Amino acid sequence: MKTGNEQRDAFAAPAGRREWLAGGWALFWENPIGKIGLILMACFALMAAASFVPPLLDPMYHPMHGVDPEISHATGPSAAHWLGTDFIGRDIFSQLLAGARIAFMVGLSAAFMSIFFGTLIGMISGYAGRFADTVLMRLADMVMVMPTLLVVLILSSLFGQLRIWTIVLLIALFRWPGVSRIIRSQTLTLKHRPFIEAARVAGASHLRIIFRHILPNVLPLAMLYMTFRVTSAIIIEAALAFLGFGDPGTVSWGMMLQWVWKTGHMFQAPYWLLPPGICISLLTLSFYMLGRAMEEVLDPRLRKEGESD
Amino acid sequence: MTMEIRRYILGRLFQITLIFFVILTVLFLLFRLAPGDPVSRMVDPNMTPEDAQRLIEQLGLDLPMWQQYLIYLENFLKGRFGISFHYGQPVSEIILNRLPNTILLFTSSILLAAFVGVFLGKIVSWKKGERIDTWVTIGALVCHTLFLPWLALIIIWVFAYWIGWFPLTGMISAEIWTDPSAGLLRKGLDIAHHMALPLITLFLIHFGSYLLVMRSSMLDTLREDYILTARAKGLDEATIRNRHAAPNAALPVITSVGLSLAFSINGGALTETVFTWPGLGRELVFAVSNNDYPLAQASFLLIAAVVLTANLVVDLLYAYLDPRIRY
Repeated sequence: MKTGNEQRDAFAAPAGRREWLAGGWALFWENPIGKIGLILMACFALMAAASFVPPLLDPMYHPMHGVDPEISHATGPSAAHWLGTDFIGRDIFSQLLAGARIAFMVGLSAAFMSIFFGTLIGMISGYAGRFADTVLMRLADMVMVMPTLLVVLILSSLFGQLRIWTIVLLIALFRWPGVSRIIRSQTLTLKHRPFIEAARVAGASHLRIIFRHILPNVLPLAMLYMTFRVTSAIIIEAALAFLGFGDPGTVSWGMMLQWVWKTGHMFQAPYWLLPPGICISLLTLSFYMLGRAMEEVLDPRLRKEGESD
Repeated sequence: MTMEIRRYILGRLFQITLIFFVILTVLFLLFRLAPGDPVSRMVDPNMTPEDAQRLIEQLGLDLPMWQQYLIYLENFLKGRFGISFHYGQPVSEIILNRLPNTILLFTSSILLAAFVGVFLGKIVSWKKGERIDTWVTIGALVCHTLFLPWLALIIIWVFAYWIGWFPLTGMISAEIWTDPSAGLLRKGLDIAHHMALPLITLFLIHFGSYLLVMRSSMLDTLREDYILTARAKGLDEATIRNRHAAPNAALPVITSVGLSLAFSINGGALTETVFTWPGLGRELVFAVSNNDYPLAQASFLLIAAVVLTANLVVDLLYAYLDPRIRY
């Protein structure tokens, strides 16, 4: 119970943050879900870091262009190709490593951007109130009901092949409303706290109040929602690639699954079908677990739905 | 009280109509402003010049933008979406034909997932901290984060290809539906047989999150005073759980269903595509792959309408079940 009170104090004022972090870490590490999530994520980070190695060893291990000169069809695992090769003789293991890098890149950057938009809009909406609040929140309602994957699909049909960074930006543009609602309600509760009133009386400008006093207090919450956004961004990019609308210049796990599926190898090549799917599922699981464990640390009474998409 | 409900329903209806109108307008603008020729996007390049001319006039593609917009709205209200490039049929016929299939799969999978999720969440919350609780929670997390198209492929591989219990793809078997002696029951069973695997896929993806919501909501509810009262009255545990705690704890699940509708429709489209289930989502993916713009536009609009309607239904259900919510 003691930790609960400490947390609330830390939430109210930025002072004593280091102790709070240490206590929070202990609480996080006690939770098996947080521990599993973090370990899993570390494994994938290692994979992403290792993805630079195989192309250096031999050009045939290049995930996109490297082809084993002796192989021209899908083959099972061997000493030279630990997970076998795909339909034109590219190494599946090095593709899998490169996919980890893409997944982290897409997940983290899309999540960061959507959190950035969401936090900014949420703070403005909560702090300004009245007209701005109504307009922004109605906009949020509107964007919230849009199925992101299908929206990006329609856009790719109109604007042609989308590059990976366009996809990342689009995901971010459609995934901020959930965050902005949470940040807005947090801002509303902060707005009338004494330290904000004090800052106002001392003559701080609105911008200063928002960025210097409100932002540090909503940041932990924003970081929490970032973990959930990472999972949804990875899933959307993978689904898009799977349907054949990914960036053709990148080797992502969704892309690999698209190749298995489209070339009709799904019943013949389990060594090719299983790894990318397992990786997508486990990486999203790790971020999701991390988020849930963080949620329990930040506030046990916080809304627990944890948003599903 | 009924007055308030009516006002609430009307308010939501107005909001949802407004959102749909905005989507309609944004789609119009996107189709006109995207790079390339707007006419070639709505008129099949392979049409005869006379047919093309008639379609251009019907859609008003030779008129100024604002007139085009009015014609677009009028055509929408009359259900005229142009001619599909691929099928060569009016788009409205195609999508109306696909709509029931999507609604069937979508509704049954969400209802099944919600009921099972609520039921299991209720049971698990009663065993908090025990081994079964930990395992079911982890299992639910894993199911929830499985990559849907991959899960679909694995399920097809195992149950349709390897064991062979279910058909690989599609919604009906031609030989049963062309057989004049086949009764309604046989046809219904045929659809159910085809629907089993897509249904299981969507169910597995969804039930986990509903279970987790129900579990934490139950744990919150158990701290309420009226549960203490029920205990003090000496009611047995099963009654407290099923009659006193569960109905209230299930409310957040309904909210969660509403919040995840957009996610569910994404999943529905992926499932339909992998299983070649003839629904709207598959039609949209197909249309986008083949640059069949009229079909893509109309399928997207109809899918948006389905999501919005489902949202409305969820809101109404919530208002009906929880008399405190009348905003």
